Amino acid sequence: MIQKIKLSACAVILGVAGYAQEVEFTEYDLDNGLHVILHQDNTAPVVTTSVMYHVGAKNENPERTGFAHFFEHLLFEATENIEKGSWFKLVSSNGGSNNANTTDDRTYYYENFPSNNLKLALWMESERMLHPVIDQTGVDTQNEVVKEEKRLRVDNAPYGQILAEVKKNLYTKHPYRWATIGSMDHLDAATLEEFQAFNEKFYVPNNATLVVAGDIDIAKTKTWVKDYFSDIPKGAEVKSIDIKEAPITEQINATYEDPNIQLPAIVTAYRTPSMKEKDAYVLDMISSVLSDGKSSRLYKKMVDDQKQALQVGAFNISQEDYGQYIIFGIPIADTPLDTLLAETDEEIAKLQTDLISEREFEKLQNTFENRFVNSNSSVSGIASSLATYHELYGNTNLINNEIDIYRSITREDIKRVANQYLNPNQRLVLKYLPKSSDSEEKNSK
Amino acid sequence: MKNKLTALAVVFLMSFGIQAQVDRTKQPEAGPAPKINLGTPETFKLDNGMKVLLVENHKLPRVNMTLTLDNPPHPEGTKAGVSSLLGDLLGSGSQNIEKDAFNEEIDYLGANVNFFSSGASANTLSKYFPRILELMAEGTLNPNFTQEEFEKSKDRTLEGLKADEKNVAANARKLRSALAYGKNHPYGEMETKESIEALTLENVKNTYNDYFVPQNAYLVIVGDVTLEEVKPMVTKLFGNWKKKDLPSFTIPQPSNVQFTQVNFMDMPNAVQSEVAVVNTIQLKKGDKDYFPVLVANQILGGGGEGRLFLNLREDKGYTYGAYSSTSDDKYVSTFVVSASVRNAVTDSAVVAFLDEIHRIRNEKVSTEELNNAKSKYVGNFVMALEQPTTIARYALNIETDDLPKDFYQNYLKKINAVTAEDVQRVAKKYFMVDKARIVVTGKGSEVAAALENLSYNEKAIPVKYFDRFANSIDKPEFNKAVDKSVTVESVFNKYLKAIGGKETVSTVESVMMLAQAEIQGQKLDLEVKNTASGKSATVIAMGGNPISKQIFNGESGFVVAQGQKVEFTEEQIVAAKASANPFPELEPNGAKIMGVEAVEGKDAYAVALTDDTTNYYDLESGLKVKSVKTVSQGGQTMSIPTGFSNYQEVSGIKFPFTISQSFGPQSFEFNVTSVKVNEGVSDSDFEE
Repeated sequence: MIQKIKLSACAVILGVAGYAQEVEFTEYDLDNGLHVILHQDNTAPVVTTSVMYHVGAKNENPERTGFAHFFEHLLFEATENIEKGSWFKLVSSNGGSNNANTTDDRTYYYENFPSNNLKLALWMESERMLHPVIDQTGVDTQNEVVKEEKRLRVDNAPYGQILAEVKKNLYTKHPYRWATIGSMDHLDAATLEEFQAFNEKFYVPNNATLVVAGDIDIAKTKTWVKDYFSDIPKGAEVKSIDIKEAPITEQINATYEDPNIQLPAIVTAYRTPSMKEKDAYVLDMISSVLSDGKSSRLYKKMVDDQKQALQVGAFNISQEDYGQYIIFGIPIADTPLDTLLAETDEEIAKLQTDLISEREFEKLQNTFENRFVNSNSSVSGIASSLATYHELYGNTNLINNEIDIYRSITREDIKRVANQYLNPNQRLVLKYLPKSSDSEEKNSK
Repeated sequence: MKNKLTALAVVFLMSFGIQAQVDRTKQPEAGPAPKINLGTPETFKLDNGMKVLLVENHKLPRVNMTLTLDNPPHPEGTKAGVSSLLGDLLGSGSQNIEKDAFNEEIDYLGANVNFFSSGASANTLSKYFPRILELMAEGTLNPNFTQEEFEKSKDRTLEGLKADEKNVAANARKLRSALAYGKNHPYGEMETKESIEALTLENVKNTYNDYFVPQNAYLVIVGDVTLEEVKPMVTKLFGNWKKKDLPSFTIPQPSNVQFTQVNFMDMPNAVQSEVAVVNTIQLKKGDKDYFPVLVANQILGGGGEGRLFLNLREDKGYTYGAYSSTSDDKYVSTFVVSASVRNAVTDSAVVAFLDEIHRIRNEKVSTEELNNAKSKYVGNFVMALEQPTTIARYALNIETDDLPKDFYQNYLKKINAVTAEDVQRVAKKYFMVDKARIVVTGKGSEVAAALENLSYNEKAIPVKYFDRFANSIDKPEFNKAVDKSVTVESVFNKYLKAIGGKETVSTVESVMMLAQAEIQGQKLDLEVKNTASGKSATVIAMGGNPISKQIFNGESGFVVAQGQKVEFTEEQIVAAKASANPFPELEPNGAKIMGVEAVEGKDAYAVALTDDTTNYYDLESGLKVKSVKTVSQGGQTMSIPTGFSNYQEVSGIKFPFTISQSFGPQSFEFNVTSVKVNEGVSDSDFEE
């Protein structure tokens, strides 16, 4: 009996106090402004070395869009000490893996290695930062590669233009208005000097965060970081974007025709606050209530029960300056797009008038806690989170505390945020239609 | 000591801001192989013999747990399959919690729990650990075996066996194990329709009662919990689990064959041969040969950089992939070299396999190969260590395989210490090319003759034949003689008569067909239009969106797939010309009778229409039952069979309303929803 009481007491304490996550890290700046974050975890002999440059599509000249993504490719070409074409071989023949990616806000490069190759990774990243080779040959090679990627991932992908169309309509001044991949005409028109100037402006230590995470010795790593990175010259100060959009007060209606689809889609999109705001977190939870899993509200109603939609989804895409909250549905058979719109509106109205149920709320807590915990389950995941929290959120401690923000969200918050941001007069309604051959002819005439 | 001093000096200088010069022009050398800090598990044992291993890791608030029964393998005999049914039934709730409530609670808590015949596993947020451990204990120790769930599970198993009947790869795998280990060995036993049908709920309960015992059980817990928390919980939940002796039995010792031989199984529907060279080995993780064998296998066939892959795929283009494997098992395991190869190169693939096994036995591997294999291995090993499940498995292996405590700590050091001499020595010992079974499963009528003529190093390799239950049989008759009176014309005429008569068929100008298939819950729609003048259009859509389109206007054509439009090559134009006409049987020019073969167990005439297309016509009904096309893509040649059945009449002509197609390991069944003759097709369907 005593044991039983102890056990349940234990459970109560656990339930109330939750837990403290312990991803320990050290952060500091080199003299040249490079921000360094080190995370030691000797459980597995793996080390991730990554650099996040605080440059994305939003830092581009409106006449030269696509530069940031282009650089993601270009900076794999060669450095003064690493021959053209040998970057990937260098990684795989040493038991590693690597890649890079670009968003509107930042560009991220990383290598995962067995930990005895940390020096190699530091050398490679410092080479890339200090003296990448940017010449016409490299530009020409990557120009082709990027075009191919655009054809594959954007131009020919069914529904591939939704995000670009949403951004184009939600923003009039802010550089989020153009697509991350940018314009191929802009890239074709750019001169070598322009590429070199872009490199000099943004890919500098004072605009970057270096993360080394995994099986490391902190003191030794600090020495090596200094060895390889401290002689990289500081660049000019990089000013952050400060462009404010006027609020949307009237519903924006738009249509787009996609030649790669047969079934239309209805898209509604709302402009939402920066990822740093608590309300952005609330919107994450709202997405989960609406469309995460088969028991979510939109899925259960429109796909399962009423069989009106083939697919339905709600996504909160939060970014550094603003966010986009997007709901989209693809109808089954002859269900009109307006019906789908009315059905999703009804669910949003419910969120605006009624509190979600206690059971839904608890499941939400469990879902987000699980998601949060598992996002930190590999050192490569931790490295990416550390860089993001520092560079975009300005608070590296979120690696351990972000869950507290989700925890602090109440059912009332969910109702409040639904009322504050998800109203018809604040949104875009995009009818995303198949492009028929008729309309193609019309356009070409 | 000297090193230590220098290191200190460097740190000293650094702290005063004097920079150590690094030579940027040189790629830094790798440091010594990293040591692995797996953490030593805390252990305790319950009175019933169950051992608990706890690896505390508080970095993330989650817990992973695995219950494993390390019983020696036991033969199931006539009850083969009873353990897999047991595994299936465990976890259907418990005697105290009804099935749906059990599953809903696990979902709500955001956890995962899985049950097997020899244990269970789960992961959860640490705050729900007590409840999840409780549910896992409930599911395993208070199982609820009901007749209803038993019948469902039995039906599923039988359904699976039936689905596998024609599956060449699955049958090949079963045959390989049965022959290598012997049908009486637990690793070689075969589940059959008969053995499953004979099973009762009582058998499952008995197997559970006999083998679900605690004395060989290990509960491994990794994550954010402490010994103080775990010990009372585990004791409470598992303490009453009663110890009970296992039934006694003997296991036969597998032995390898005395001389290398081909063991062939005929599967007339095979469009690829499954080729495997196999011998049993005794290799435990603790053996000194263990690490050299890992490296030798990596070099021979461990992946895309292995010699087998480079030879059979990259160089010769016989297959999509060729690999080798050596498993480690404290009782017995196998060394296997295997690939799926196209029929025509079956014998050549065997020779290529033997060449590579001989080469790694006879010649020392190069330093470069050795080093690449090691770094690849190190990389893979190291990355896997991040998963708590890997750590749990290693902690368990140390216990069950009686390994030194520092076994995994020293793993990389041991890998790096392997020399080229070691590799050659273990290759000779474990890759027993002189006592190997070359197990081939394939289409006898096309591949057996070449295998019969196979010799290696001027020595003939005998061929023995087996059925799919691994019984030795006489050589089957593969190519039945075709009666002299049978000609292409007579086969075609019988077919045309069977579907509605030559007259009626001649009036067909176009055929439009709509069909549907379901793949992993997604609807696949097929629309095919053909004209007698030789045009064709095929559109495949998934979930309403076209995913591929093939248009041929009689002269030229193109494919649109994944958004890319690619014009037909010369070969594709030839193939499209040959297959556009819905009834090529009206003009038998150039067709050849190849023989009589079994299709779905019934004899059919095989008629080659072109080099790349063979059609099969049922001897009895005259109907076309199958068509096999050979296509080349990206250097790979493969055969795609299409089956026709369920003929129904439309406008006086019989069309197949069920069409099945296999594409590698995948197969689809299309149900035809509509066929239209001379309507619904216009010239614009064949334009861009």
